[in-house]
Amino acid sequence: MAEERSVSIEVVYRGIFQKTLAQRICRSVVLAARKRGHTGTAFARYGDSPERNGVPAKQFAVVAADELELEASMAKYEPSVVDVSIAVDDTLVKGVESWAWYGRQPIWKPVRANGWLLVTSDKKPDEVLAQTDKAERPYTLGIVPGGASFAGLWVYKDDHTDFRVLGALAKILPQWIALDDAKAASLELAKGDQSAVASVQYGYDATTMRRVKDGEGTSGHEVLQFKKPGWTKMRPGVIVEARKPGERNPYYKKYGARTMRPVVNFDTCIKCTMCWLDCPDECFEVTPEGHYEVVYEACIGCGICAQVCPVKDCIVMVDELKFTDNKDKWQLWKTDHSKYNSWFEDMSGVSADPKKGASGSVPPNANPAANAATNPGADPAANPTTSAGGDE
Amino acid sequence: MTTEIMPAQDLPQIKGVKDVPYDELFVSGHRTCQGCESALVMRHMVKASGPRTIVLGSTGCMYVANTTYYTTPWVVPWMHTQLGASGSAALGTAAGLKVLMRKGKLKNEKINVIAFCGDGGGADMGIGAISATLTHKDYNCLVLLYDNESYANTDIQLSSQTPYGAVTTFSPSGDKKRLMHTRWKKNVPGMLAAGHPESRYIAAGCAAYAVDLMNKIRKALELGGPTFVHTLDPCPKGWDYHPQYSQELGHLAVETGIWPLYEVVDGVCNLTGPTRQIAEGRKKRKPVYEYLKRQGRFAHFIDEDVEHFQAQVDKMWTDWLIPGVIPFTVPAKDVAILKIDKKPMHEQKTA
Amino acid sequence: MAVEVKTKETNEIETEQLATGCEAIAEAIRLADVDVMAAYPIRPYDGVMQAAAKLIANGKMDVEYIVADGEHSQFEIVKHACAVGARVFVGSSGVGWFYAFEAIAVTAGLRLPVVAICGNRALDDPGAFGTEHNDSLAVRDLGWLLPWAETAQEALDLALMAWRVAEDKRVSLPVAIGLDGAFLTHSQHIVKIPTQAAVDRFLPKFDLGDRLLHPDNPITIAPQVDQDWLMEIRRQNDAAMRNALGVIREAHADFKRIFGRGGESPFLDEYMTDDAEVVVIGQGTLSLPMKVAIRRLRKERGLKIGLVRLKWFRPFPTEEVVKSLRRFKAVGVIDRDYSFGSPYYGGVLYNEIRSALYSQEKRPVIVGFIAGLGGREIEQPMATEIFEKTMAAGKGDLAAGDTCHWIGVRE
Repeated sequence: MAEERSVSIEVVYRGIFQKTLAQRICRSVVLAARKRGHTGTAFARYGDSPERNGVPAKQFAVVAADELELEASMAKYEPSVVDVSIAVDDTLVKGVESWAWYGRQPIWKPVRANGWLLVTSDKKPDEVLAQTDKAERPYTLGIVPGGASFAGLWVYKDDHTDFRVLGALAKILPQWIALDDAKAASLELAKGDQSAVASVQYGYDATTMRRVKDGEGTSGHEVLQFKKPGWTKMRPGVIVEARKPGERNPYYKKYGARTMRPVVNFDTCIKCTMCWLDCPDECFEVTPEGHYEVVYEACIGCGICAQVCPVKDCIVMVDELKFTDNKDKWQLWKTDHSKYNSWFEDMSGVSADPKKGASGSVPPNANPAANAATNPGADPAANPTTSAGGDE
Repeated sequence: MTTEIMPAQDLPQIKGVKDVPYDELFVSGHRTCQGCESALVMRHMVKASGPRTIVLGSTGCMYVANTTYYTTPWVVPWMHTQLGASGSAALGTAAGLKVLMRKGKLKNEKINVIAFCGDGGGADMGIGAISATLTHKDYNCLVLLYDNESYANTDIQLSSQTPYGAVTTFSPSGDKKRLMHTRWKKNVPGMLAAGHPESRYIAAGCAAYAVDLMNKIRKALELGGPTFVHTLDPCPKGWDYHPQYSQELGHLAVETGIWPLYEVVDGVCNLTGPTRQIAEGRKKRKPVYEYLKRQGRFAHFIDEDVEHFQAQVDKMWTDWLIPGVIPFTVPAKDVAILKIDKKPMHEQKTA
Repeated sequence: MAVEVKTKETNEIETEQLATGCEAIAEAIRLADVDVMAAYPIRPYDGVMQAAAKLIANGKMDVEYIVADGEHSQFEIVKHACAVGARVFVGSSGVGWFYAFEAIAVTAGLRLPVVAICGNRALDDPGAFGTEHNDSLAVRDLGWLLPWAETAQEALDLALMAWRVAEDKRVSLPVAIGLDGAFLTHSQHIVKIPTQAAVDRFLPKFDLGDRLLHPDNPITIAPQVDQDWLMEIRRQNDAAMRNALGVIREAHADFKRIFGRGGESPFLDEYMTDDAEVVVIGQGTLSLPMKVAIRRLRKERGLKIGLVRLKWFRPFPTEEVVKSLRRFKAVGVIDRDYSFGSPYYGGVLYNEIRSALYSQEKRPVIVGFIAGLGGREIEQPMATEIFEKTMAAGKGDLAAGDTCHWIGVRE
């Protein structure tokens, strides 16, 4: 590594929610490396702009020994190979489907052999690895402790995720980012707040590493890859065939944009249609019984359905990493009622029988609300009940 | 030509949520944000209009995010038009269909033409063309303006529909200037209704009131001629709130009186939904603070900003000739001359 | 004042009229059974719309005639009417053409066969009402086919050609016919008006096929693309533009057979070039004073000079231009336009001609002339000067050759 002349780092993040976070990480990398006399550049992948809420996007930091070396990394949309990939939300390990391309890519796709994949997560390395696509070359998985840090566009949620990540980078790339330089850079970025230094040290100390061998990981995720035709095969006049009635878009699934997904208690469902009616992604399909089942392939996990549902805990939003597939679940309810209900309870932490009350665990409204930190006195998590819509 | 021909259908008013058509003509796998209310408007729009519809989409989120090349979420025929061209696209398409049917070059049948635009394309750049289209009374077409109150596709920049004081990338809040944007939102549906007496239908709606919105779209298409519907679409990205609250923000916009729901049918203005209830005194307007505090774009507001906002909204309800629609009043001495009924809305004679 | 005449080939009754270029185009609109046209006033092109409006008011044609709120709307209206299968017509001039520029770009990008005229006019500010070709030429790189007419008759004939070539599936690109402001748009010529039956034989019905925007053919037109697709789409349009040369040749041959007009070549109109050693080349009506000068100078001084008039600027008929011009010692290129800061400070056509001839081992000396801007007349002393300079260059006078000259400009 000592003879390497440049190092490339990418940050994979949730569009908009983590845009500022990704920017801060990439900038801090360049600024910390600068303290050793390295030069560098930080940039966002142009094709991700305009970013969409939740849709995976990437930003990059490239640090080089000199300007000449750096030039090789400039005027590019993205480096094809990186030394380190950083996923700042652990549900991203299920694969990256950016809005500007086609198909789903494994999170480690650009990581070079024996490179690093850093994931911010509260989970153990093996839990994260179990949801990561099967490795095709060895790498090191590092878990930077902490939940995903989400914020809105206008107000940054300053929970030091950026400093913890910088600390982890100092650990794996000491020849580029020395721990002291990382601390000095973080102090500048935090405008003198010493707790930033502590966060760098914490990221340095607490990040756990796990070597990942070829073949480790899951092969359970959908392969979503498409071949692009050439100009002689494309229809003239910039035309594509419309979707057929009843068909969903096979080229873009959108589930990769999800950090949570709804689970439905069909026993308490009153068939009011609100989840179906208000879903911006046409996810719900009516069953012969008149229930609305979620088509998980199409769900982006916005949570509107859970919010507009008038029945308490009938639709509960659940951490995406708890699920290993996108199969629809209504068939299970239909064929094995009790098995479905225990699945529902297991996933949601809520009793399927409303008479029994909550099973104790807090329904993870925990997707830590985009603007939890934005507005003094405005706490969306403490949201008042939805005012009755005009349609009821 | 594809063989599968979707049948024409009548567009009766939808009686309630259970009466909403089930078939999706704008399907999943578009590329909008989590909780995108404008995508919901697209879905409701074509649900209401049915399969015999041609949709023209001007540049903006609902173009770029929904139709990325080689794939499409549209079941109905769809074509892009330029940012300021929704009015012209509607007009040209309607004129083409009309003449081809008259000359026997196309089968004579009813085909709905809907052109949509965002607030940038409709209230700023394209308003001239929309205005022109609304005077061409021989052509059947609907222009739908989905208003998420910024240029949300290009990075959340200020538009003429951005509310007073809101933060955008063109109007950040800074140390010297707390409010960069101090213009009041342009009253688009009211202006268009007032200025185009021959348009048979102009309405303001919101997808949080889905049936009301779908019925407005159906009425516009059934009455025919050039018509206009403006929807207010909460935008989790630009307004900065958690995507799960899109419906709720829509409700709050109406319940605070900021976004009145109404329709102008052949020159008669009907307030609809909660707006009617507020006007009739059956429902109290909520304070605008309840709406503003939920959104990061107003996070920099101090009390006096909220007060100004409230005062402006109050004026819409107390001073305007028609609350939220016609933004002027007349001198007291002229009330009798102009036969203006100053009684509360619910006591007024209906037209 | 219509006069009936019989056509050579078919004995059908043609009429003759005294018509301006604008009125001749209006007749072509009628004969082509145009479905939708959109108007907005700006001189000089709007003469077409005025003439068409009269035809409509008098029940001579059935067309949706939309008076738009601006040129951008004008071009968008016909673009969208075209997408649902309507044959369309539109036009503008000068800055109006520029106001529509966005719509003009997408029309070609989407391969929609809109036919327009550009009544060439100088650009504001300071502008002038008279002719200058920079408005048409501004779209030269966008995928529009750009022919220029010399006479009202040719304007009518080119318009009929335009729909045929534009709507041909191998091409499917828009056409903008250049009409010199005032000289052609507003002066009256004797014009033969073909019969409807003959036009119907020449011009097939417009059929977009599986590109029609209609509920029976559900398609999505013009979704957003990115770097993964744009080169392929540009290459498709490049292929269409290449196809246009052959389609124009075909259409020209048919036109000659049916109407008995159109000249030898679809692309070039050569005048007294058989024995010429030196020629000038240009577009549009400037050929008229140049032809007079050729006759006069041949008679007075025995100069072996001639004229080549370029009829289609896009697609550029490189093969024909090279074959024609390489015979001569010197070629003077007259630009009724400018390209500030371009190589040798020449006009647009000058650099195109130089570029076309670059690969030839034996090539003429090429001299550029900027003349007639803003509708300034090209008078006989100027025409003489142009020929004298071109001949001097042909004789090796380097001061005259390989450079550009402004003709008739006050020092």
